[in-house]
Amino acid sequence: MSAFLARNRLIVLAYAGMVVLLLVTAMFSPGFLSVSNMRSTVVLAAFVGIVALGQTFVIIGGGIDLSVPWVLNSAAIVMALLCGGQDLPLVWVMPLLLAGGAFIGLVNGVGVAQFGVPPIIMTLATNVILQGLILVLTGGSPTPSAPALIQFLSVGRIGGFPVIALIWLALTLIATLLLSKAAFGRHLYALGTSATVAEFSGVPTARTTILTYIVSGLTAAFAGMLLTGYSGQAYLGMGDAYLFTSIAAVAIGGASILGGSGHYLGTVAGAMVLTILTGLLPALNLSSGALLVVYGAVILITVSIGSETFAGLGGRLRGRRA
Amino acid sequence: MDLVTVNGLSKRYGGIVALSEAAFGARAGEVHALLGENGAGKSTFIQILSGAVQHDGGTILVDGQDYRPANPDAAQARGIAAVFQELSLIPDLSVEQNIWFRHEPRTWLGIVNRAEMRRKTLALLEKYDFPALRPEQELRRLTLAERQIVEIAKGLAKDPRILILDEATSALPAREAEWLLKLTRQLAAEGRLVIFISHRMAEVRAIADRLTIFRNGSTVAAHEAAAVSDDEIVTQMIGRHLDRLYPERVPTMTDRVALKVANLASGSRLSGVDFSLREGEVLGVGGLQGHGQRELFQALFGATKASGAIELWGRPAAIGNPRQALTGKDGIALVPEDRRGQGLLLTKSVRENLTLSVIKRFTENGLLSRQKEAALVKEMVDFLRIKAGTPEQLAGTLSGGNQQKVIFGKMLLTQARVLLLYDPTRGVDVGTKGEIFQLMRDLAAKGYAILFHSSDMPELVHVADRVLVMRNGRIAATLEGDHISEEEILRAAMLETRAA
Ligand SMILES: Nc1ncnc2c1ncn2[C@@H]1O[C@H](COP(=O)(O)OP(=O)(O)OP(=O)(O)O)[C@@H](O)[C@H]1O
Ligand SMILES: [Mg+2]
Repeated sequence: MSAFLARNRLIVLAYAGMVVLLLVTAMFSPGFLSVSNMRSTVVLAAFVGIVALGQTFVIIGGGIDLSVPWVLNSAAIVMALLCGGQDLPLVWVMPLLLAGGAFIGLVNGVGVAQFGVPPIIMTLATNVILQGLILVLTGGSPTPSAPALIQFLSVGRIGGFPVIALIWLALTLIATLLLSKAAFGRHLYALGTSATVAEFSGVPTARTTILTYIVSGLTAAFAGMLLTGYSGQAYLGMGDAYLFTSIAAVAIGGASILGGSGHYLGTVAGAMVLTILTGLLPALNLSSGALLVVYGAVILITVSIGSETFAGLGGRLRGRRA
Repeated sequence: MDLVTVNGLSKRYGGIVALSEAAFGARAGEVHALLGENGAGKSTFIQILSGAVQHDGGTILVDGQDYRPANPDAAQARGIAAVFQELSLIPDLSVEQNIWFRHEPRTWLGIVNRAEMRRKTLALLEKYDFPALRPEQELRRLTLAERQIVEIAKGLAKDPRILILDEATSALPAREAEWLLKLTRQLAAEGRLVIFISHRMAEVRAIADRLTIFRNGSTVAAHEAAAVSDDEIVTQMIGRHLDRLYPERVPTMTDRVALKVANLASGSRLSGVDFSLREGEVLGVGGLQGHGQRELFQALFGATKASGAIELWGRPAAIGNPRQALTGKDGIALVPEDRRGQGLLLTKSVRENLTLSVIKRFTENGLLSRQKEAALVKEMVDFLRIKAGTPEQLAGTLSGGNQQKVIFGKMLLTQARVLLLYDPTRGVDVGTKGEIFQLMRDLAAKGYAILFHSSDMPELVHVADRVLVMRNGRIAATLEGDHISEEEILRAAMLETRAA
């Protein structure tokens, strides 16, 4: 147990931070810990968490995915357009858009793994291209409202539990299995730790890299559809906030931004922390501008805690030799 | 009076005792060898002396004064510099920028004085007769051996009174190692103290005035070099008597060809290489460093692009990347040259490193079985006697020789029966070296086929069944039987060079 704690110190810290933040928030706004409020916090966190799932994989593998905002946004808008408010088309629209998200991920992954394009450039480019395509497609006009079924998925409940929370739970389970219990996870951590060593060890480095971007495309597209259900409508710019929050959730969750470490379980705490913060700040009567400042500060602090551990370890290793 | 006196030095890492009650004394003007098995605590000791880590207990006196450096700068201020391996260098900087890093000569404006830096670099390289190094070259373009030489220059640039060389020769080819030994004597003659760590007895013999032997973190003996035999030294090092370093060379070669290479070429470093490696054979690859040995091993492993035909066990093999090379029973596995850059995930555990290449084997229905993995890891750790606190210890915190054992174990876990061993005993202690050679012979007897390069020529002479001598990216000669000797290898490598 103590070995587990030592190895996952940063993840444990993220959860500790989450609890502290909850208590602090409850002090400022007494209703915060109420069931209904917790429920809506978890729902909001789920969107961040789902987008950050793919981001976690990409970052552990040593990359970064900046295309999530417009993959999310594109899926949202195209779904609204294709469904025209009807449930039935969802049967083919959802798989189609998931495939579309996966395809964007494939393009990102192939660009990075096969053509050696730096991840920042590659994913930024796909992001901009998608943005342009969607602007052309919609001409800026509003889209029809979201189908009822998708609204059920994002705001409905089963036995008191928000459906989306259950979806999030299931995804967390899958992600955990992939990272901790599958060969893929080992390959991924090895890749993020040292691409050369991974290559020399027979790890399918290109395939693993591509897979992480595909997962990220999938989760961003999925989140986009769910978010449309939540807001009742798709609109331009709805994904923008998720670029920052998805990366921040991963970092707060204890992953090194340089790759090779971290876990989705940490990211889950990261998503919660970010969402609780969003709830805390209005209670403190802070503006949304101030919110961004606090957001930024939290990231800076958590990442520097993480990198200090990293630097400390790096220093120790550097001191060692044959 | 001794320049350095150490008493009761101890250092632990969590539950691991790296040093306990170590004692040491050395005088100015001598070359003092520090000997001991892998994990004996030698590197920990010099890390403490050079300020990289702090000790838990004990005293160090330098010039009779208490000495406890808080960091490497403090150690330098007292005239102590250590030559670390490649990792203290910065790949993006040039050779000279690395040498003077944080000590750059500056103009009165505080700007780095490049002309002065160049002048000082050239003066330093000339004074100590350094092998060819270009000051402006970017470090990342250098080979491991060249980096090691830059590291030595960096140590000397501080003009230390005490210079510590931790296995500095292990990454060097014969000629450069020879130079370093001469340099060491020169430094001692200048009145400096050189503390010299090496697992090569011949080197220690050639230059050491005195020696101190560590075992399990404690000092077991200190000797005048002239007054003690090799045998005594080795016995004190490993705590038992070592009958012989090199195993008997019983030929186990069959007629079956395991690896056939025809017209292999890669870039400008490798051209028209033909040879066959047979089942049960240990085939040595020698020659002067930089004549294509590295490229040959990497090309066979699919780590660099190459043209030509490769057959494994009689079947044509397309090896486009290491993954293809490692696949299956007909595969081919490599112990790479650069253990920290190519061989090990330093921030991951011994367990994860050992099983990385074969992790698929522990999955049932797609899920990893930790029990199965742990069992095999334990078997391998015991078999190779890897000295780690637990299999969860990070590979980067193992002693150098134990890191090498992990890489060896990782290769053995693959099913490949054609093994490419590039300097597999680098940084490995005598006792373990003997075990590795024995293991190589045992594997050969079991039908493995082994291609074996060593920067230590006697190893080739004593372990290989045949030796390929490389020159200018080609095979200049194949030595067999009684023709295998250091002289013959050198002659083949050099005569051919002159003829060309
Ligand atoms: N940072 C660390 N964390 C945990 N254990 C460590 C650390 N550094 C050293 N050790 C342990 O201390 C012991 C001594 O290691 P050290 O590197 O000093 O050995 P060495 O004599 O230099 O061996 P070698 O000949 O293999 O280089 C080893 O068992 C090693 O695993
Ligand atoms: Mg050492």
